[in-house]
Order: sequence, then C-alpha cells, then structure tokens
Amino acid sequence: MSNVERTTKISKVLRLKAQEFLSSYKYADNLVDIIRHFETGADLLACLLSLELIFTNLLKERQMFVQIVPLKPPEVTPELQYKEWLRHIYEECFNKILNCCESSPTKIQIQGLTTAMNLINYEAKYPLEAKLNLRNYIPLNKLKAVLMKLLTSKENTSHLIQKYEEYLVYDDVLFFTWKILPSLTAKANPNEFYMLNYLQLMEKMQVKRNDDPKAMCWIDGDEKLTFHFDQVKTKRYLNKIWNCLMLWQHTPATHKQLLIVLLERVLPHLEKPLLMTDFLMDSLDVGGPVSLLALQGMFTMIQVHNLEYPNIFAKLYSMFEPEIFHTKFKARLFYLSDLFLSSSHLPGAMVAAFAKRLARLALIAPSEDIIIICMFIGNLIIRHPNLKSLLNRPNGGSATSDPYIMDERDPLKSNAMNSSLWEIQTLQHHVLPSVATAARFINSPLPKVEWDFSKILDSTGDDIFDKEIKKNSKLIVLAFDRPNGSCLTRGEKIALHWNI
Amino acid sequence: MAKTKNKKKNLAEHISDKKKSKNAKTLNPFEMHINKEKIKVLGRKLKNDRGLPGVSRAKALKKRKGTLLQEFKLMNKSNKFIDKRIGEHNSGLSEDDRAMARYAAVRFKAHKKSSIFNLANDEVLTHKGQTLSEIEKFANTRSDDESNADEDTGRLESDFVEDAHFGGGVLTKTGNEGFKSHKDLINQLIAESKKRKAEKQKAKEQTLELTEKLDEEWKDLIPLVNNSFKRVAEVQADKSEVDDYDRIMKELKNQPRGYATDRLKTEDEIAREEKEKLEQLERERLSRMRGVFEDDKSEAPKHRSADDLDDNFAYDFEPEVTLSYNEKGESNVPVDKEMRVEVDGVEEEEEESEAVEEEEGDSEAVEEEEDGDAESEDDLSDLKEEDSSSDDEMNGDNEDSDRESSVTDNIKADLLVRKEMMEKAREELPYTFTLPNSYEELHELLHNKSAEHHCVILERMIKCNHPSLGEANKETLGLLFVYLLQYIDDLNLNSDIVNCFKISNFLVPQLFDLAQLNQENAQQAISEVIKEKQRDYRKNKKLFPSLNVLIFLKIVSCLFPTSDFRHPVVTPTIVFMDQMLHNCRIRSRRDIAYGLFLVTLVLEFTALSKRYLPSATKFLAGVLHMAIPKPCVKQIKVLPPFRSISSHLVLTKRTTTLTTTKLELTDLTELDISEDFKQRSLQVALQLVSEFNENFHELSSNCEIFSPIEEYLGQIPTANYTPDLRQLLGEILDKLKSNHDKKLYYIVMQASKPKALRLYEPNIQKVYDVKSRKIMSKEKMERAKLLHKIKVEKKGALREIRRDKAFLGRVKIKERIESDKLRKEKVKKIFAEANIQQSELNSMDRKNQRRRK
Repeated sequence: MSNVERTTKISKVLRLKAQEFLSSYKYADNLVDIIRHFETGADLLACLLSLELIFTNLLKERQMFVQIVPLKPPEVTPELQYKEWLRHIYEECFNKILNCCESSPTKIQIQGLTTAMNLINYEAKYPLEAKLNLRNYIPLNKLKAVLMKLLTSKENTSHLIQKYEEYLVYDDVLFFTWKILPSLTAKANPNEFYMLNYLQLMEKMQVKRNDDPKAMCWIDGDEKLTFHFDQVKTKRYLNKIWNCLMLWQHTPATHKQLLIVLLERVLPHLEKPLLMTDFLMDSLDVGGPVSLLALQGMFTMIQVHNLEYPNIFAKLYSMFEPEIFHTKFKARLFYLSDLFLSSSHLPGAMVAAFAKRLARLALIAPSEDIIIICMFIGNLIIRHPNLKSLLNRPNGGSATSDPYIMDERDPLKSNAMNSSLWEIQTLQHHVLPSVATAARFINSPLPKVEWDFSKILDSTGDDIFDKEIKKNSKLIVLAFDRPNGSCLTRGEKIALHWNI
Repeated sequence: MAKTKNKKKNLAEHISDKKKSKNAKTLNPFEMHINKEKIKVLGRKLKNDRGLPGVSRAKALKKRKGTLLQEFKLMNKSNKFIDKRIGEHNSGLSEDDRAMARYAAVRFKAHKKSSIFNLANDEVLTHKGQTLSEIEKFANTRSDDESNADEDTGRLESDFVEDAHFGGGVLTKTGNEGFKSHKDLINQLIAESKKRKAEKQKAKEQTLELTEKLDEEWKDLIPLVNNSFKRVAEVQADKSEVDDYDRIMKELKNQPRGYATDRLKTEDEIAREEKEKLEQLERERLSRMRGVFEDDKSEAPKHRSADDLDDNFAYDFEPEVTLSYNEKGESNVPVDKEMRVEVDGVEEEEEESEAVEEEEGDSEAVEEEEDGDAESEDDLSDLKEEDSSSDDEMNGDNEDSDRESSVTDNIKADLLVRKEMMEKAREELPYTFTLPNSYEELHELLHNKSAEHHCVILERMIKCNHPSLGEANKETLGLLFVYLLQYIDDLNLNSDIVNCFKISNFLVPQLFDLAQLNQENAQQAISEVIKEKQRDYRKNKKLFPSLNVLIFLKIVSCLFPTSDFRHPVVTPTIVFMDQMLHNCRIRSRRDIAYGLFLVTLVLEFTALSKRYLPSATKFLAGVLHMAIPKPCVKQIKVLPPFRSISSHLVLTKRTTTLTTTKLELTDLTELDISEDFKQRSLQVALQLVSEFNENFHELSSNCEIFSPIEEYLGQIPTANYTPDLRQLLGEILDKLKSNHDKKLYYIVMQASKPKALRLYEPNIQKVYDVKSRKIMSKEKMERAKLLHKIKVEKKGALREIRRDKAFLGRVKIKERIESDKLRKEKVKKIFAEANIQQSELNSMDRKNQRRRK
C-alpha cells in the first residue's frame, strides 16, 4: 500500500524534476540527481522513464548537436562545454540503461530495452553530429551494444528477444542486425545460454525484407525513398554466420533449436545446402523430435536438391514408437509420413508394414490420434490397392497369432502383408463413439477419394470433449436401476475394489 | 284321312305355337333395327347391336302421357281437387257397398284407439261436445244467469234481427228513418255485436274480482272460527328448521358409496408388469449400446407383393395405401371404378374387366395380408431372440452375483448397521421440510449434519414437495438438484474424505430420485458440472483435478446408462477420464490412488458394454511397471506419463499378512507410499487387469493390448508379497498367456450384393381405343371425367327436351283440331237450325200470303 504510494510519488517527483531540467538550464543539477537515484538501484522503472524523457527531448531539440567544421578547432564556450558534458552523460547513461537488461526483474529488463531502442531511434533521426549520409543512419555501436546484451552468455533472454522481435519488423533494424551479427558470432565453443539466445534471435529474423516495408529510423516527410534492404548482402552475412554455427558443439536443446532455425529460416538461403546432409543424417539418428525435424530437412533435400538417401523409409518406420504420442511433434510426424508415403510406387509390403505398425500404435494412442491413424491407414489402403488383403482376405481362414513382427526394424521384413488389421476391428469397440465410428471404415468398401485429415491433425482431447458436449441430443436417457447407496445394482466395481 | 291327319297336325302345331308365343313374344323382323358393326370381335357381347325403335318409342310416349301430359293439363291451374273418399273412384262398388266400407273404416279407427280388451266402453257418448261422464261430475257448475249469458253470446238482439231479417214489409217502414244501405246495415251489426261482447267481458271480470275478495276476507275470519289451521302453520315452521346434522346425514346417505374402477391388480400381476417394464428398458438399453435407434426401423420400405406389376394408371401420383378390409368386407381404399374416362357404349365391358381387376386386387390384398402376418411373426421371433439374449445376460449377471455374493454379504451387514442409524436419524428430525430458496439455505440446513441426517432430510423434503402435490414443485426440485450438486462440490474432501464420501453415498439415491422427477434438468445440470470441471482441469493438464471430480464421476455412473453407444453426459465424461489418465503425472500415493479410482470407474462404465479404453490399460501397465525394481543401468521402457526410472511400488520388506485387500479412501489424500499401500494397490491393479481381460476376451487383438502388462508381470519379484497376492499374480499371468492360444480369423469383408441390372417397366398402354389419352394428374383426370359426363348428360337432356316439345306440339295441335272441328260442327248446327227456322218462317210467310190472297 505505502509501497505503491511511495513509488507513484517518487515517479511523480522524478517526472517533475525531468520537466524542470528540460525547461531551463538552471536545473542542470536535476539530471545529476536523477542519475544518482538511478545508480542506487531503487525505482528503476521511474528512473528509466524519466531518463528516456530527458534524452529524447534533448535529442529532439538538438541540444547535444555539435557542428564540427573540418580543420577548425572548436571554440571553447560554456555552451559547448555544457553540450560536451551532456554528451558524456548521455553515453554513460546509455550504458547504464543497457545494464538494466541484466539481472534485474523482467519488467525492468524489457523497459531497459525499450528505452535503449527509443534512444537509438531518436539518435538516428536527430544525429549528434552532422553526417554525410543522413538517410539510413543508425548508431551502429549502440545497436551492437544492445545485441550484445541480447546474446549474453549468462542467462536466457527469450523475453528480451521477444521484445526485440517487435523492432525487427522495421527493415532497417533487421538489416543492421544482420550486418552486426557476424561480428558477434563466437568462433570457439560458446556457452549454452549464448547458443540458445543466438538461435532464438535467428529464429525471429527474416532473411528477406518484410512484407510491409517500413523503417524505424526515418526522418519523416522530406524524402519518399524507402529503406533499401540489400538481400544479397544479407545472404552473405547469413552464410558467414551459419558456417560458424555449424562448428559449435551443440547440446540436445540447441541441436533441436538449430534444426528448427535451419528448417524454418536458413535452408532456402544457404549457398551449398547439400553440405547440410551429413548434419541432417547425424540428427536423424538422435531419435525423438530431433530426428523428426531432421526428417523434414531430409524431405526438403530430397525434394528440392535431389538428394539420394536409400534408407529413409526405415528411418521413418523406426520413428513410429509409442512415445511419439506424448511429444509435440506428432502432428508433424503424421503430416510428414503422409507426404513420404504419398507415392503410389512404393512396395506394398512396406506400406503394409506402416499400416500395421500404425494400427498397433492406435491400440495405446490417445483417442484424438486414433481417429487420425484410422484415416491415415484408410488413405494408405486407398493409395495402394494391393493392401486390401489387410482388410479382406478372400480365402478367409485363421491364424494362431498375428504374423506381423512388431520388433523387426526393416519394414519389408515385417511380414505385414500376411496379417489383417485386427487392431482396427478391436478399436471398433472403443469407448468413445467418435473413435468407434472412425474405426468402422473397414466394414464397408473404401471410398475413391482419400480422407483429408490435415484439419484434425492438431485436434486434442479437449476438442473431442467440446464436440461431445455440444452434441446436444434431445434424447434424455436416465438409468432405470435405482442405486443402493452409491452402489449400482449391476456392474458395480468401485465398491468391489474400494472401501467406501 | 289325309285331311284329318293334316288337321291333327295343324292342331298340334297350333298348340305348340301358342305355348311359344306365351313364353316369348315373337319379334317382328320389320320392327327391328340392327346397328351395323364396324369391327367384329369374337366373343364380345354387345348390348346395343339391335334395337326396337317402335317399341321404345311407344314406351317413351306412354311415359310422357303419364307425366308430361298430366302436367300440361294442370298447367296454369293453381288448385286441384283430390277426392279421397273411400271407393269413390272404384266403379265396381255400389252405393251401399261404399257406405259400408266407409262405416267400417270409421269403426276400425275408433276400435284401434282403445285397448283390445275394452269391449264395452267403445263409444263415448257426448253432449254438446262434452262427454257425459264429464258432465256428470258437475265440475264447473255455473249459475243460471252465467249459463244464460253464455248462451246469449254472439247473438244479435231480437229487434235487430226482426228488423234486419224480417222487416221487409212496406208497412213497417216510416219515411223519417231514411233508407239504410246494405253496407251500413252490416257495419251496424258488427258494431253492435262487439259492444255486447265487451260488456259481457267486463261484467264477468267484476264478478271474478268480487269472488276473490270474498275468499280472502273469509280466510281472515277462519282463525276465529277454527284453531286447527294454527297448528298446521306451526308444524310447517318446525319443518323448515332442519339441523345441520340431518342435512349432512342425508347428504351422506345419498352420496354414492363407491365408484366403478379397474380391478385391483394382484401382486403377481404387478410383479409381472414391473418385470416387463424392466425388460423393455433393458432391451432399449441394449439397442442404445449397439448404437442403433428404434426410429430407423420404422422407415423400412412398405411391403408390396412380388406380383405387383405397378400397373396402376398414374401410379406415381397415388399415395400408397395398404389394402385392408373391415368387418363387412369393404376395403379401406375406394377402388377407383372410373380411373379411365368412360366411353359411350362400352361401359359394360369395362365394368366386367374392372370386376376382374377387383378380384385380382382381392387376391393381392390377401397376399399382402399374409405377408403382413409373416412380418409380424418375424417381429415376434426377433423379440424372442432379444428376450433370450437378455435372459442370457441375466444369467451372466447371476453368475456375477454368485461371485460377488461374499461382497454382498458384507454390504448386507453394512446395510443393517446403516438402517439402524437411519432409524435413529428419522426419530431425531422434524417431519416436514420446506424447499430451500437459495443454495445458502440448503447449506445451512445440511451443514454439520451427519450423513444419515442428510439422507433423511432430503428424503422428507422430496416427499413433502413431490410434483404430484403441486405443479411448481417440479421446477423447485430441479433447483434442489442443482443446489445439491453445488453442495457436493463444496464438500471439503481433503479434510475428511471418509465422511464426505459417506455423505455423497447417502445423497446419490436422493439425486437419482430427483433426476427421475425432472430428467431434462438433471441431465443439463450434470453436463454443466462436468464441463466446468473439465475447464478447470484444462488449466493444468499434468495434475489430477480435485477429489470432488471423483464423486461427480461416480454420480454420472449412477444416474445415467453408461453402456450407451453415445450419451450426451456419459461420453464427455469418458473423454474427461481418458484425458486425465493419459496426461496426469504420477508421483505420489495420492496420484496412484486417484488413477486407480479412475480406472475402476472406467471398468464400471464399460462393465456392461465391454468396450475398450486404451488409457485405462496403459495406466494399469504403468502401475505394474512401478512395482518392478530397476537396477541402476537397466531401463525398462514405459509409456509416459510414467517415468521409466520410477519404482515407487517396489516392496522392500517381506510381509505375510494384509489387513484389507481393498484400497482406502484415505489413500486419495496421503502423499507417502506405505508398504501396505504398495501391496494393496498392486492387488487392486491385478484384479482390475483380470477383469479387463475378461471383458476384452472377445476382442481380436486382446493379447496385443495386454502384452506390455504381461511383460511387466513377468518381471515383478514376488518374494516379498503375501502368498495370496503371489497366487493371484501367477493366475493372472497364466490367463494372459492363455490369450495367445486364441485363433485369429482373418478379416473378410462382407461380400457386397451384386448390383442388379436395371429393370425397365414394360410400356403397356391400358386402353386400346383409337384415342390416346394424356397422362395427367388425379385432379385433372377427375375434372375431365366430370366435364365429359356433363357433355353427355347435356346432349341427352337436350334430346329429351326436343322430344317433349314435339310431343306437346302434337298434343296441342290435336286439341286445336278437335276444338276447330267442334266449332265447325256447332256452326253447322247453328246454320242448319237457322236454315230450318228461316225455312219455317218462309213457309209461314208464304202461308200468310196465301191466306191474304
């Protein structure tokens, strides 16, 4: 209570002081006061805001502007001295503000970054010295300092990077960030925090110009020319950076992140993408989400760059493990495997192995995935008509056990063609009606057109719940056996196993 | 000889001819007209191939004479006399006979009126219109002057009569009175008579008035004369004061003692009805379980016989009605006799053919009926089958119940104790409760009461406010249901879980009753609760939600049929449980117990329908996995949310006895895993596995479902467990292994029916005449038919009118000729007479002239 009051009071006082300082030279001491208060570490937020207020105004009014005339020593006037003093303090303050971005509460960190970027913005618009090229001027040393803070090796700065992403929509900021990054890239093995931060930043950065071109440091009005985003240069920077990145020693977390960055941003812009093949193949063997991401990379390589990789289907096959349902990437796996298996020229035995393995997995999968798997298997059978023997063995007959070998790693040897989809038959007895109906596709002749399950790839159990609860059927059915206590007259199980 | 022979022969022929002529009038071939036929069809009988124009004309003429001529004769005549005297028109009767007949009729009429046994008093003698007997009663004797006055009424004064009727003489007339016209005389007469009448009336009224006055005065005098009247009055006053007692007694006496009602049902009947009802409900439940709804059945195509050729004209426009017959043998569908537009001259033939058609229709109908019978028999057999299946299930239940008999014994003992407690509670509490208006009221009422009190309070509350006692109660009881759910939600399970479960146990039957009273509300309320709980759970999917959720899940299983294929409440609930079992982390005793409770619930939900939920078996596998000790390096794979290194349930100490084999409610609240709990949870998990295994016995891939469990079971070290548990484990392992022996039948898709070739209807045109008719809708057809009929009738009517006119013209001209002839004759006669006269006159003249000469 009092704390809040105190902070509001102090912020008011600080704001007042700042305004006084701006109004007249007499109050120059106010600035010193504020900085001193800032240094104590209390009320950082208020101090940051008031400092931002002071310096943006100073920059706007060009009070720190020094005209340098070549070959002419500047005259020492009190005014000049004051300006010099102000500039000195400005540089100092900028560093201090950036220091806020370290080891302080998240809110202060973000505010520090905002203040710093604001100051850069104003300095770019109202430079401290006369520049030859007034356009596209950005104080690079300051921006570099900001980036250094972002790419610290001390802690995870994802929140700051998230904030910084807001500035990356400006073409100039984006371009200069690319320009500065190579100089900031570590050559030797860096710390994990650094790598993660670096990769996170890279993930946010586009390689091409933004769709809606705009520049942050733009002096309004006089010129219509937009900022020129040099794509070629950017690509050069990117390749430079990537060469360094690949040399780092990656931890599993950074490895994953690296793959995400590679797939989403970098791969199309690399000069020699085939060089990535080794990396991707190594990644494929890691297992879990990493290999899944690598698989996607491989797919692009095969598709776009004509890479030949013989064992890809065995890899894909090995990825279908029960654990897959508890990862975030299962939708991606289904999507990818659908892509991989979309060719109708694949050997039937292999596709049958996939279908059978999927069916096995469906026995333990969550309900929403069973629906997808059912559709997937259906699509496979539609694509490969010789798989119909899985659903319809014309001669009938029986087997003592399932001929399919689940533990076989090679899909071609799994003997799936001699099996039947008993799992789907079992799933027709699933408790949930939506799943049971999805599994009924094997009872009737298959349609000619494949099912489109891309829409339900991301559905969760919640979606099924919502759907079921919305199915507001008019039929109201209640039990007719009056329970005895809370014991059902038929099929009571709780009382059987619990002492109630 | 020869002559005689001839004569004889002639005679015989003559006789035979006579006989023939008697039998059939021989047709004169010259009178016959033959209609020429254009096309001869063999075997066709024609009605109109020949006609007798003369005969038919004569017939028509005769008819006209009877009708039209009569009307013509009476034309322009407003009146007519009909002589109805008996025998007047009968010329055969003589005058006497007629009189006799008339008298007989009168006698007969008189005789008819009185009783047949009354022989004497047939005729009532009258005098002046009054019967003698009436006169003899002297009921209305009047004084002489009155009767005289009566006699006088309406009569004219004597001098007037004298004057008017007889005063015609010249002598009586005096000149001064002047001559009265006849009209004046009549007027005077009328005025006179009216005046007299009025005077009479007045006098009569006066006398009446006076008499009445006298009567009244006389009544006043009576008390002085006699006392008896007074007593009568008193008695009347007494009578008027009837007391209530009497009145009520009378009312009661007159009240109907009892009403005719249905016969009271015997206990057997009641039991049977109850059983039938339950069986019906069970059948419905089974059909819902299979996901089939009865509505679908009713949409089966209507039966049509195989012989039905669809040859009805305009078949498509007709609504299909199955033909059936009522008691009189009339079909419910009017057979359309006039489907086709009738053509002149071929009616009969059509009728015949239609008759044939009708016969066919009959036979069809018979067939249809037979089919219908067959169908109904089929239905019965279906029902029987269902019955038997339900019987089977009942038997199965019996077996179950055998197995559970030990459990039920325990429950029985428990129930006895409970009953005593309830009795106690019943005595302690007041008998009536009003329904709470808000949740707070209910909370106040139930708060801090024991579980038994909860039950009794609610029982009485529901009884006192049953919907049969008032319309509004249904709504308020619905509210009570919602409040109760809220109350359960507010129970603090973490502090005293045993008591809370006890309370909920007592509340469930009440909730069941309330739900039955207002079903829609109950379903909606529970569904809202589940929705809300699921929303809460969504915030953190890794954690089990609060313990109240378990109670609600249990309530769902008690109130709703969990075996339905799809149910608006049960299905979302299962989704919810599925999510929890899939996602929630298992770390402590509480989590394990919570999960096992959920799995038990899943078993309960699927006990009847024998359906499969992967997450339940997965959870059981996880629990078993936790009981396997893991040496430091070796990792045994397990599915998330279980962790492959966790081994919370590994028994460290050797135990020999176990206090109870069941899980306790307190397990749901505690965190630390005790040795006791390890054994109990394993035991329950094993039992659940075996029950699931039994449920899924029919499923084709049940050994794949249980393969991880089997694998884990083999790895659990049994040394430390109690012998019972060890034995159980071994048994279950054997059972699971025996699953592998099952034969798997390859899936064979049902052979689809070969698609029948499309059959085209033969294009049969029904009417083989020259005109081809348009196919049109029923209404249009009807209209066309009517229009044609009108046309035909109009033609016929015009022809008739024309002939009538000709007939009348003939009659008129005949009359004219007749009258002219008469006139001519008359004129002739007159002329002749005149001539005679003239001749006589002339002869006389001549005579006279001769005389003069």
